Amino acid sequence: MIPQYDVALADFTNGIRAWRLWGRLGWQEIKRRYRRTVIGPFWTTLSLGIFVAGLGVVWASLWNQDPKTYLPFLCAGMLGWNLVQSNINDGCTVFVGGEAFIKQLPFPYSMLVWSGVWRNLIVFGHNLCIFVLIGFYAGVPVTAASLLLLPALLLTSLNALWMATVLGVVCARYRDVQQVVASLLQVAMFVTPIFFTRDQLGPRFARFVDFNVLYHYVDIIRSPLLGRAPEVWSWIVVTGMLCLGGAGTLWFYSRFRRRVAYWL
Amino acid sequence: MILLEDVIVDFPIYGSAKSFRTELLGRATGGFIRREGRRQNRVAVRALESVSLKLSKGDRLGIVGPNGAGKSTLLGVLAGVYAPRAGRVVIEGRVSPLFNTAPGLDADDTGYENIVTCGMFLGMSRAEIEANTPAIAEFTELGDYLNLPVRTYSAGMIMRLAFAIATSINPEILLLDEGLGAGDARFAERAKARLDSLIERSSIVAVASHDEGLIRGVCNRAVLLDGGHVAAAGGVDDVLETYRERRSRP
Repeated sequence: MIPQYDVALADFTNGIRAWRLWGRLGWQEIKRRYRRTVIGPFWTTLSLGIFVAGLGVVWASLWNQDPKTYLPFLCAGMLGWNLVQSNINDGCTVFVGGEAFIKQLPFPYSMLVWSGVWRNLIVFGHNLCIFVLIGFYAGVPVTAASLLLLPALLLTSLNALWMATVLGVVCARYRDVQQVVASLLQVAMFVTPIFFTRDQLGPRFARFVDFNVLYHYVDIIRSPLLGRAPEVWSWIVVTGMLCLGGAGTLWFYSRFRRRVAYWL
Repeated sequence: MILLEDVIVDFPIYGSAKSFRTELLGRATGGFIRREGRRQNRVAVRALESVSLKLSKGDRLGIVGPNGAGKSTLLGVLAGVYAPRAGRVVIEGRVSPLFNTAPGLDADDTGYENIVTCGMFLGMSRAEIEANTPAIAEFTELGDYLNLPVRTYSAGMIMRLAFAIATSINPEILLLDEGLGAGDARFAERAKARLDSLIERSSIVAVASHDEGLIRGVCNRAVLLDGGHVAAAGGVDDVLETYRERRSRP
């Protein structure tokens, strides 16, 4: 298949340029999801809050941890994990869900990806409220390192962009992939140090964590929330993934973008 | 300007059970459904076969043919939705396909919100949409309903809203599939005027339709598609005549 790098690149840049439309789509989607509910999008926040409070208290006492350190750790980890997980899961359905548009209109498909990433950032913003409450209760310090949350969110979203593009295309062709990804992520949530710290794993397993890419995605969000700078290795891994993934996606997308309309 | 040269479009078929595929192949005549791939294990439907076409400013093309002849696929290629498997496609100018008249229409959003969303999908800027909104609202005669969720509308009201939004665009190249529905008969006259004006301000128009009246009224040239081939091309009357002859043949 002849690669069309210009088409793939134009899709990305025109996608960014259509920010008014995807901004609106992401926003409307949030509004729509909770229409006629009383507390609206804060339902996700509330359920996360209940989850963290419930599990946090039980597990803190199970593992003899101080709830004042364990609760913020768990909450920050869940915030990071939720963002990464929903970006990946939504990526699988991004083109299948956009079938009506893809088959009717010529437009940059990446616009659909942007709208999903934007939507998940809005949800993250809502969830942040829970962390603020817990942080206040536990006395989590706000430091200069907290500002690193912003570049972390930017890096996460850019990574989500290429992942969703690849997954979206693959899932358009092979519908099973979505299920595979969803089940793997479910397991990954328990394997990745989110409910426990990597030190608790002991020296034998802790070194494997360095190879768990998801851990680094979570870490760059979790650590700034807790007022600490993320590990340098995490920045390297996440930035490296962005470069490698971005290049790989360009290679992939320039070959298969044209097929997407046929697969839907 | 639009140029198609020897365009071939194949639709792959996935997920059909093997026995079903074999049956499909057994029934297929004329190589319409074909196997491909190294082990002949893939099935594809050839929707367009060596279609060449040139549309320039002022052209109003009617596309006719029986069901499954490839009319909608041809429109899809003209829209840039389907990249052909082989052949050359050159599209110069902004294409406005109105296949689904209200892309992005959401039942839970209000009429006004949908005017903005659909308008943006159809390529209008926010300023254009704002400028057009009073005219759209007036045409729909929906009044205060526009402040309510579209969910509360009747089917005819949704159709009117969609039609009004779709016909407010300023297309360079306009593509229509089976015209545009406009709801009840009372609206037919006003809808026709609005559609005529939309076509009037488009530089190039292509319409696929079974409605000879529409084709005759709008088009200055036509193509007849049959089994993905161009069976006839030229003046509207000649092509429609050929089409009628072919249909009456046993």
